[in-house]
Amino acid sequence: MPEQLWITAFLNKYLAGLANAILGVLHIHSHHPQAPITNYVAMQLLVFVILVLGCAIVRSRLSVDNPGPIQHTMESIDGFIAKQGEEIIGHGSERYTAYLTVLGVYILTCCLIGLIPGFEAPTAIPSVPLGCALVTWFYYHYQGIRLKGFGYIRNFMGPVPVMAPLLLPIEMFSHLARVMSLTIRLFANMFAGDMVTLVFFSLCPIAIPVVFMLLHIGVSFIQTYIFVLLATVYISEAVSHEH
Amino acid sequence: MSAEKPDNEVQSATTLWARYSQIAFIIPGSVVVGLLLGKLLDYWLHTRWLFLVGVIVGAVLGFVDMIRTVTRNKT
Repeated sequence: MPEQLWITAFLNKYLAGLANAILGVLHIHSHHPQAPITNYVAMQLLVFVILVLGCAIVRSRLSVDNPGPIQHTMESIDGFIAKQGEEIIGHGSERYTAYLTVLGVYILTCCLIGLIPGFEAPTAIPSVPLGCALVTWFYYHYQGIRLKGFGYIRNFMGPVPVMAPLLLPIEMFSHLARVMSLTIRLFANMFAGDMVTLVFFSLCPIAIPVVFMLLHIGVSFIQTYIFVLLATVYISEAVSHEH
Repeated sequence: MSAEKPDNEVQSATTLWARYSQIAFIIPGSVVVGLLLGKLLDYWLHTRWLFLVGVIVGAVLGFVDMIRTVTRNKT
């Protein structure tokens, strides 16, 4: 039986049967049928619930004249990402702002939730950054295909037609490597942050770990920003009309 | 690439920063992709050496892509 957080144990107690049934439909057999829900899945579910409840609360209290602190924060985040999208993607960027905002808020919450005692950051497990990277990868290709149709393939062929057979495999590898790049960067930074905090906590449990926890907060914001920024750049390349 | 760039292609410092931050990951990412594709081909074709070809091809293409990224961002 793997080591479980209290929330994972709680979910496994009540939802193990449901989780096994879902895994069975997908022909996946859990190594531990009594605890099919892992810590990082439980933490992602918790982040999902926090974000949905938070948005529902903000939605019920929306006010133009007197916005609350949460509404103000969410508007600031959305405005920042919209401005960045306008700068990088240009005209029509507002279509992608919702996705980029949700992506950013989700990753940031996943990173920061690990600072709360009793929880752990799901982004410190490779599967979670990989999921975010894959969703982003499919999203920007979908947007490129939606906008350009079959002509989207020209994005992979370069400006000179003669060079297309050479550039096509390079571009394909480059795009596949983007998934790895996004995954490794976020995972490695969050994992390293957790490890450093843990090591110093075991050496000196008073005061010193606070410094590294503050560092972890900084790294969380920076990595979230880079992830969203790169996603914006990838979308801009996919929907750009210029070669 | 055309000499006159449209407004949405004007690269800010943050965009360049994001692009350059990728450089360190281009070659490792390409090598991992090559390895996975090679392993997949090994599994399908019942061979034991295509993963090595995948790693080498990934490294070469990653290196080419890295040079392209650096030179492209100089415009």
